[in-house]
Amino acid sequence: MASVSATCIGFGTSFELSVRARSQRIGKSWSLVSWGRSSGFRTSGLQICAAKPETLEKVNGIVRKQLALSPETELTPQTKFTELGADSLDTVEIVMGLEEEFDISVEEENSENITTIQEAADLIDKLVDKKA
Amino acid sequence: MASTVKYVRVPPPSANIAEARKRVFEFFKTACRSIPTIMEIYTLDDVVTPTKLRSTITSEFRKNAHVTNPQVIDMLLIKGTEELSNIVEHAKQRHHIIGQYVLSREDSNQETKDEGTSDFLKSFYKGNYV
Repeated sequence: MASVSATCIGFGTSFELSVRARSQRIGKSWSLVSWGRSSGFRTSGLQICAAKPETLEKVNGIVRKQLALSPETELTPQTKFTELGADSLDTVEIVMGLEEEFDISVEEENSENITTIQEAADLIDKLVDKKA
Repeated sequence: MASTVKYVRVPPPSANIAEARKRVFEFFKTACRSIPTIMEIYTLDDVVTPTKLRSTITSEFRKNAHVTNPQVIDMLLIKGTEELSNIVEHAKQRHHIIGQYVLSREDSNQETKDEGTSDFLKSFYKGNYV
């Protein structure tokens, strides 16, 4: 992050512009750093990742069980359910399983958007926080 | 006697398969969400888990996965809704649920009455055109 801000400062041509650019860049770098801190293990600070690790673990477990995956199949947060061989009915079933596990209620428009494990975990955390 | 709505209006038929698909998923979600109620009504806690019931529901849905006609899908949905409301309003009994939805097909095999009869008799009972 610090190296990025350094190169941006170098780009400013005139004195006033460079001062403004410097302050802007510093502002942006600060916000990037704070994003990085809150997301924890995410290195790409631009992605707002709100899912907790244990939520992801539980989601992985449910998906594995539901689709009867072998232990070797790698489950990254970006894996789409369709990649794992799930059709639309399987996806809905996984969502229902998550509803039961976390005691939440997924609304209609939210359930359409869930295609990857990461999205599912994010939605779960959002709903759990809203309930608490 | 009917504890549910007396005049159940049939919903207008689905215009296309996309709308029928949406209705199918809605019904699936309704069925899955009523699983806790069903487990409580018929005290199925020691016989089956909610996960297993959910997969039974999924396999029932998959049996008709090949259907493409929206009107047929609507008809199947109406039958399914009727079945679900029968179950939820306790019009069925525990052995119905267990026999129809808990036991796997290999377990039941529906042969308990005719054990030991010959194959000829089995085909005879089934019908003329075996």
